[in-house]
Amino acid sequence: MSKRTLSVLLPLILPAMCAFGGVRHFDFLYEAPTAAPGSVEMENWITWKHGSDPRFDQVDFRHEFEFGVTDRLQLSVYVTDWNYHSPDQEGFTLSDAALEAIYNLSNPVIDPVGLSIYQEVRAGDRLVEWESKLIAQKNYGRWIFAYNATLEAVWEGDDLDERESEFTQALGASYEISPRLSVGVELLHEFVFPDWKDYETIRNVFVGPNVSYRRGNWFVTTAVLAQATDTSGEADFQWRTIFGVGF
Amino acid sequence: MKKLLLTCLVFAGCETANYAPIVTMPRKTDATKLQRGRQLFVHRCIECHTLPPIWKYSNEDWPKIVNDMSHRASLKAADREAVIAYILAARNM
Repeated sequence: MSKRTLSVLLPLILPAMCAFGGVRHFDFLYEAPTAAPGSVEMENWITWKHGSDPRFDQVDFRHEFEFGVTDRLQLSVYVTDWNYHSPDQEGFTLSDAALEAIYNLSNPVIDPVGLSIYQEVRAGDRLVEWESKLIAQKNYGRWIFAYNATLEAVWEGDDLDERESEFTQALGASYEISPRLSVGVELLHEFVFPDWKDYETIRNVFVGPNVSYRRGNWFVTTAVLAQATDTSGEADFQWRTIFGVGF
Repeated sequence: MKKLLLTCLVFAGCETANYAPIVTMPRKTDATKLQRGRQLFVHRCIECHTLPPIWKYSNEDWPKIVNDMSHRASLKAADREAVIAYILAARNM
């Protein structure tokens, strides 16, 4: 089949083959259900972090393609992660690309707790990151409660010789006002280990509201989390918006 | 603490049973199909929204709702039939 034929046929075939991967009710937490097999979805992430001690602004962009593989397995490709940081850099910098897999173990409605396991690998010319996550969720009527425990190890720098790890607990609650609109709250509790050691005892807590709206084959979810601790060098707040569209 | 945990588990059990009851006495319907329908109902619908109570809509409304949602939920024709069969069987228990 020629490339020309393929380029004509693909836009016709794909919408018939694919469906929506799923809506995100949270920005900083993952949910236990995985995408339906055969579904394809693109998610665009924008995260703005602002700090005042010292003053900085950082904007991170992620572009994810999510594929439902089986009833329980979902794979994602983050084609580009890029960012802007002021005052440290001029212009935008391409950071890395990433692969992610989520495997669902139990259902948040019919089982006592919905559980999934998550693995992500990020790699760039100055960054390698290994992130593992346990995702727990329970649905009660119109309420969704989620908990994520995340362990990540990072190697950074020209020779990847700068090491850092982080353990994060995240809690979220979301209430569905209507099938299209949800509001909720998210909380992050971070334990940062520079050089994989805990001698600085860095603990950060971020908390804030979220809103999620979906219609047809798209959704948008936004959350603003403010720092409840007083860690210098960390963001005062972080604002993340995720826009997803199913093909 | 144990009492609180037990209360929560009982509460969770009651809540989920209301939203996706197990159909134990299928009449003129394949039990495997009903199991598959329940499985799809509790997995696919919650990818986008919380699970609607099966008593919220009428027997006449449910087939239309499931058909309308089937593309977004990636339900094939046999899947749609199974979900509708499960919902109607659960409603009429």
